[in-house]
Amino acid sequence: MTITIQRGEVVEVARGSQRRRAVPGMGLLDSLGVVWKHWRESFRQNRDFSDIHGTFTEQYPDERPNLPEAYRNMPILLFDDETGHEFCTSCFQCQRICPPQVIHMTQAKDTTTGKAVPSVAEFIIEYDACMSCGFCAEVCPFDAIKMDHHFELSTSDHASLTVHKQELNRPVSYYQSIAPTLWEEAKAGAYKKLQGNIKRRPDVIGIAPHLVDRIAARRAELAAAAAAAPPPPPTAPAAPPAAAPPAEARKLTPEEKAAKLAAIKAANTAKQSGATPAETPPAAAELSPAEAKAAKLAAIRAANTAKQAGTVPAAEVPPAPVDEKAAKLAAIRAANAAKQAGTAPAAEVPPAEPAPVDEKAAKLAAIRAANAAKKAAAEDNETERN
Amino acid sequence: MYDILDGLINSTLGFGWPSWLISLIGYVLVATLLFAVAPFQMLFFTYYERRAIARMQDRIGPNRVGPEGIFQPIADGVKMFTKEDIVPDAADKRVHLLAPIVVVAPTMFMFAVLPWGPGMVPVDLNTGLLFFFAISSISAVGLMMAGWASNNKFALLGAMRAVAQMVSYEIPAVLSLLAIVMMTGTLSVVSLINAQGGLFISTNDVAGVPDLGLGWLIFTPVGLLAFMCFFIAALAEGERTPFDIPEADSEIVAGYMTEYSGMKFGLFYLAQYILNFLLCAIAAVIFFGGWQGPGVGWLYGMAISPTNPDGSWIFNLLAGVLGVFYFLAKTYFFFFVMIWIRGAYPRLRVDQLMDFGWKFLIPLTLVNVFSAAIWVAVTSWGVADGFGLVEGWSPMLRWGVAFVTTLVLNGAAYVIVARIYNSAQAARNRFDVDELRESLALPR
Repeated sequence: MTITIQRGEVVEVARGSQRRRAVPGMGLLDSLGVVWKHWRESFRQNRDFSDIHGTFTEQYPDERPNLPEAYRNMPILLFDDETGHEFCTSCFQCQRICPPQVIHMTQAKDTTTGKAVPSVAEFIIEYDACMSCGFCAEVCPFDAIKMDHHFELSTSDHASLTVHKQELNRPVSYYQSIAPTLWEEAKAGAYKKLQGNIKRRPDVIGIAPHLVDRIAARRAELAAAAAAAPPPPPTAPAAPPAAAPPAEARKLTPEEKAAKLAAIKAANTAKQSGATPAETPPAAAELSPAEAKAAKLAAIRAANTAKQAGTVPAAEVPPAPVDEKAAKLAAIRAANAAKQAGTAPAAEVPPAEPAPVDEKAAKLAAIRAANAAKKAAAEDNETERN
Repeated sequence: MYDILDGLINSTLGFGWPSWLISLIGYVLVATLLFAVAPFQMLFFTYYERRAIARMQDRIGPNRVGPEGIFQPIADGVKMFTKEDIVPDAADKRVHLLAPIVVVAPTMFMFAVLPWGPGMVPVDLNTGLLFFFAISSISAVGLMMAGWASNNKFALLGAMRAVAQMVSYEIPAVLSLLAIVMMTGTLSVVSLINAQGGLFISTNDVAGVPDLGLGWLIFTPVGLLAFMCFFIAALAEGERTPFDIPEADSEIVAGYMTEYSGMKFGLFYLAQYILNFLLCAIAAVIFFGGWQGPGVGWLYGMAISPTNPDGSWIFNLLAGVLGVFYFLAKTYFFFFVMIWIRGAYPRLRVDQLMDFGWKFLIPLTLVNVFSAAIWVAVTSWGVADGFGLVEGWSPMLRWGVAFVTTLVLNGAAYVIVARIYNSAQAARNRFDVDELRESLALPR
């Protein structure tokens, strides 16, 4: 029997064979038969939902409901059983997505530096307004927030429904017991990220606060590591000894960093200066005061000579070049002054040494400059005479 | 009861009390028993219905109070008693108070003619059936009082519906009983049961069949059709699904009971379930032989009875226990059928209810009355009644001829009336749809 259904048409569908329908009231008996079958089969338990018959009722307080793994009721926070570290890094993703806005958190801070640490100091969920949507668990990139199966939350104490981190924390083993396959899927990624985050958590930050023995153990471990670690390197005198890195796992404080950077720069400069002149002694950086004086003196002399020789007033003498740089600068200035004073071609002037770092080089440069200036002055006299 | 008390007091103890005193003691005793039993029947029925309907809906039903929830109705009763009795300000207070009483009283009266077992009838009225159905329709007055006095539109609607339904369905109920009365020739409930001895053939029709108490009227075509019509009418009278439109909770809150609370509501509830019990019981009595069953007649033959005052009281007890067992088993089965129907069918509309009563049941019961006349003529008339054709036939042959004739007649009548009714309903539906389409101006 084909039935064409048009909009607005009433379609009568007659059930049963033509012969059966010859006797009126058979449809009524059929419906009684359906109910009878339900009644008869209802004395059998139907737990697997294999068919529509049988009693489905669970005697709830006596029988615990067999909840599916993906059942979700209220969010909880996970921490690692072994290390006690919480998975949460306070990335604020859950707080941002929460439709009723019941998630609140404070990021943990390093007590010595005040810098943010990928860990959560306080985490609050208002269970009374939570709508169990599970968005927070879905969005969490660290698998730190998961949906619990515990649903018997009725209480006469309203305030107890504002749940803090202390009550939200659950070990991973608990979540594994309620949702084994779901955790199996998330496990590898969650632990990988957790290991990365543990490295960035100084002191005992990130360990679930109720695990006092874990925290004590971690403190003891840290103290032992600090005692065993070598003293801070001399290149970082600015870093306070308290913040000295006890182990390579520690994150460096900015002061330590600055000290390190200064040391590296100094080393690089020394390396550069040592590389250019072959005769330069390796300990160029350490200039003795006497040598520095000599270099200064030479530079002054050179400058004076140039002044005397030239018609153009020479550049002012540098006040007190204490290092090889200053000496070099002085030499260059002297040479320039001489050049300006004289009309001699630039080729005559010896090229300024790129880095006369020692007093010898400085003296040499000064003498050369003086000679060049004298020569130029003599040539000038000759041309005037001529 | 009179016989037992008379034997005990005057013969055994030798007090020589007057018969009126013994009668009085007997009636007081019986009335007390009935007033104690009736509410317990109601309590049991509420529990029974809830459990059975739950099973039909793949549930378990109340099972927390006591073993398997058997004390659930007690808990409900305590709740009813402790609830506040609220009377609306605008209600007619006296009528409002009187209505539940008027509804409950007739149901208790109906117990007067109901036989529980052999010789266990409070009063054997020779117009017992008439009394039963005449009294049952009094409760319609109480329903109307309740609906009117509540001063609530839902209550009034419910009362209107209840009265219309009761008046309409009294007719097929009584007409179907008329056929039975014609067949058995008696209005007394006790005689009606006595006529149903035998073995699938009533001893009333064929004398000399072995009496196993199975000659129920349901085994005759007239009785079958009468039972169908009567049971449907009983559903309507007891306001059971699919005829529960007076208290259709999804339409008119609770019908005439809307403005009642506490124990007044409890009384309506009580009246309704006792009425259901009585309707099931009377269906069992009229069509299924009441306490009749294998062994009861034989046991009662040896007991103390008006015909056999020298019997032994132990047989009274045995026959009584067996008879009450048969009677209650049948009654509870019919109540199960009521629950079953409730689980299967949706509620009718008022116009469908009226159509079904007036256009289907009444024609069918009228045909059934005609069939009953044929049955009586073939099985018991003779030359003296102007029906000499069957004079020379044996009782078995006469019964067989009557059976086949009425079976054909009733079967044909059922099919024809049902088909006419179906096509009339279908035509009416089409008409309604056409009207709807026109009013909505839908394109054809």
